[in-house]
Amino acid sequence: MNPKLEGSTMDDLQFRRRIYADPNTHDEDMLAAMKEDPAKQKFTQELEDLDSRLFKAMNVAVPDDLSNKLILRQTLASHQQQKRKSRVRLGLAASVAFAMGLTFNFMQVSSAYSNLGDYAIAHVNHEKDYFSNLTTENVSLSALNTKMAAFNGTFTADVGKLLFADYCRFDGMKSLHLVFQGQTSTVTVFVVPKNEQLEFSTDFSNEDLIGNSQQFKNSNIIVVGDKNESLQQWQKTIGENVRWSI
Amino acid sequence: MSAQVSYNMATKQVRYEALVKALHGDLFRYAYWLCHDKHVAEDLVQETFLRAWRALDSLKDEKAAKSWLITILRRENARRFERKRFDMSEYDEAAITDTRSTSNEQEIENQWLREKIAQMPEEYREPLVLQVIGGFSGEEIAKLLDLNKNTVMTRLFRARNQLKEALDDEPKARGQYNG
Repeated sequence: MNPKLEGSTMDDLQFRRRIYADPNTHDEDMLAAMKEDPAKQKFTQELEDLDSRLFKAMNVAVPDDLSNKLILRQTLASHQQQKRKSRVRLGLAASVAFAMGLTFNFMQVSSAYSNLGDYAIAHVNHEKDYFSNLTTENVSLSALNTKMAAFNGTFTADVGKLLFADYCRFDGMKSLHLVFQGQTSTVTVFVVPKNEQLEFSTDFSNEDLIGNSQQFKNSNIIVVGDKNESLQQWQKTIGENVRWSI
Repeated sequence: MSAQVSYNMATKQVRYEALVKALHGDLFRYAYWLCHDKHVAEDLVQETFLRAWRALDSLKDEKAAKSWLITILRRENARRFERKRFDMSEYDEAAITDTRSTSNEQEIENQWLREKIAQMPEEYREPLVLQVIGGFSGEEIAKLLDLNKNTVMTRLFRARNQLKEALDDEPKARGQYNG
């Protein structure tokens, strides 16, 4: 756009056109032309004067409160947007919670396992990392019996070193989960209310674990341990020491 | 995550308020010279800044903020025309009275010049406002108005030429204006 430096030969008309288009030009050829010719300087001065008058005229007053209004309006608008968003989020959260509730109920009601044994092994496998055979924890007989009361049962004597005793969900049923110290690894004993959904299985096993169930009047007692355990011995000891009040 | 979100919101808010404070005046004046009505200009500026808020993340370079806002404002103004088919030829003289305390003499000239500017064809006025009020260069104006630079420079030349001629006849013209 900028013509090359032409020195004093810059055409007067061309100069005028360019000054009219941009009185504040910093183009070198224009500045050089001004320097050489006082008439061009004067003319530039006139146009600068015109521009300052134009600026005064164009520089209309801005409403005093405009910037506050702009900030306020944006704050209100984004607040509305936030509210809409949080309503959507709340709706989403509610849907997810509802779906989870449904799923949970479905899982509680439907048995993923068809028999007691499969479930017992799955349960033990699921929790095996929480228990160590070397734990020094010991649950007292009275603490155990407090929990057994929910199943209307009592142990008359210790049946082994009890590391852990608490209620748990056994395929949706409230049951008692006992972990004893075993020969090489922990032995798990479940006290489970009788349930028609799970088919009773006396003996069961997988690659690592063996299990055995014993039926009492209202409850089943399931023992799961590794293959070094004598489950018959465990069941015998339990059978001899458990009393059912109903 | 929500801390990050609110941090971003806070940053965005700070950026937005800085933009408003720095540029609302120029935007308002530009809007005013597009529509010749202070209330419409205010509406235009409000719409422009609301859109700017929503799109603020797309503004990477703060130096480009003014031309970015002007582009939004021009689009808003075009929308206004689509909506209302506003009659531009109806020029409301009362709307441009200025309450600022300038000397009477100066105010008379300003008023007189404003009328001349308002009466200019829009294609001359718009680049002139962008240059004088917005401080944009010929290249920047060409980009904003989607014209080539030669066209812009020609229009600027004609705009000033008209106004200068009118001003050179000013005593006569102002006499008519006051009489």
